[in-house]
Amino acid sequence: MTRLESRGVPLGPIPARAGIGLRSVHHDELPTQRPAVGFIEAHTENYFHEGGAAVHALLRARANYPLSLHGVGLGLGSADGVDREHLRRVKAAIARFDPALVSEHACWGHAGGEHFNDLLPLPYTDEAVELLARQVGEAQDFLGVQLLIENVSAYVAFEYSRLQEWEFLAAVASRSGCALLLDVNNVYVSSQNLGQDAARFIDSLPLGSVREIHVAGHARNGAVLIDDHGSQVCEPVWALYRRAIARFGAVPTLIEWDNNIPALEVLVAEARRADSILGEVRGLAA
Amino acid sequence: MASLREIQRSFAAALRDPAVTCAVLPPANLGVYRNNGAITFREALGQTFPVLRRRVGDDYFRQLSTHYRERFPSRSGDLHWAGRDFAAFLDDYLAGSEYQWLADLARVEWACAESLVAAERVSLGVDSLAGYSSVALERLAFGLQPSLRTLSSSFPVFSVWLTNQVDNAPPVDQSQGSEQGMIRIRHDSVEVRKLDRAAFSFICALAQGATLGEAMTAAALDARALTNVLAFLFAEGLVCSLTLKSA
Repeated sequence: MTRLESRGVPLGPIPARAGIGLRSVHHDELPTQRPAVGFIEAHTENYFHEGGAAVHALLRARANYPLSLHGVGLGLGSADGVDREHLRRVKAAIARFDPALVSEHACWGHAGGEHFNDLLPLPYTDEAVELLARQVGEAQDFLGVQLLIENVSAYVAFEYSRLQEWEFLAAVASRSGCALLLDVNNVYVSSQNLGQDAARFIDSLPLGSVREIHVAGHARNGAVLIDDHGSQVCEPVWALYRRAIARFGAVPTLIEWDNNIPALEVLVAEARRADSILGEVRGLAA
Repeated sequence: MASLREIQRSFAAALRDPAVTCAVLPPANLGVYRNNGAITFREALGQTFPVLRRRVGDDYFRQLSTHYRERFPSRSGDLHWAGRDFAAFLDDYLAGSEYQWLADLARVEWACAESLVAAERVSLGVDSLAGYSSVALERLAFGLQPSLRTLSSSFPVFSVWLTNQVDNAPPVDQSQGSEQGMIRIRHDSVEVRKLDRAAFSFICALAQGATLGEAMTAAALDARALTNVLAFLFAEGLVCSLTLKSA
């Protein structure tokens, strides 16, 4: 049994198709239109409460779609440790909403008691591998599920880094038994901001490690690309996505659109495009 | 080489204060994270206090958010409760100014935020009081909807909230004086209502666990006023349970 298979309770099935995020502007439309998407995604921290419109909308959506639960607040790479109360709330959300996939990020988020509510970058050092892998492993043990850890967009590079980002992620996955959530837009944004080789990133991640993919839009602020999830996926990112699917095979793919959220049919159209790329790869593999 | 903890503490110090030199990264590169953090915090605060934001405008709200975050930085990976201390911050920040009432408006909005994520329970009808003698009625304790919040202010902040549900609402005359009211959710929507002083006192007492008799005394209600407020509570679906306390 590989380390990846030994961790946690296998979660329910999620199809290798495109999914969309459940956003408040679509709460009424989603149950009435019932678009044919593979799954829905929800941000874990929005579902820590007992009641409210978001909770009720997710419960309704879960009747029709598998769920990918995506957290942004744990800061598993924080040297000060992980917030136990936050972990308990994640566990409660997993029990309540029964997601097929649960994910977080390769980042830190708090230091000295202050939380920055951002996906702050880690240096790619042996110490960071050890700490992140340990805290991911402990979280998986507590939650009872395998976590998917996502690569973040980078705006800075640490001179201390000894590894390439893909080596770092692979080491964390190997040590902790987690899987990877490959954000192709983040690979692209980081490559443009820091001069990394995006294609080499895709080509270097271990086969079998990627269980979900994100594609998203980004914005430009002068010379810097900002991972704002606020627009359609651009052609270079679609090209990287095609490369990733060709390498990893068909994987559940999220159209990640969190700002300037468009009409539901626009999100669904993006999902269709991802589905067509997934279909091409399936056709080639057949 | 610096340890991971040292790297993160240095990074954090520079995020908090642009004047601080980060030992591990050039200052220019941190600007994106500093900007992202400020925007994320401000947007979360704006979602919790939309009426206040509408009333003061985006520029002043940005200023309030910046100063509030300096005094009360986020202590959780869940930003929903970042506004927990905003009213207390405004009490201090606006003390002695003509805008001091904004603090109580923030209290109304914070109550709305808490209410919006509370559970909604099945409510009882007024017929649930049938069968109790008048003596037993006075010993009844009422379980009220978990989303119910009550608030009083020396400023007309309920009128401000109700008026400012749209942009460019005219200012409310602050000389209207004190107001009291309640906040609750119904079918996932928040409802804010002004209450007269007696009904407010009665409902507050019930919410704190007083029996009907104790609440009636606390609010100095006569029989007719009691009938009216009980009818209101049941008609509004606010009563979820009745418990007979021992004599």
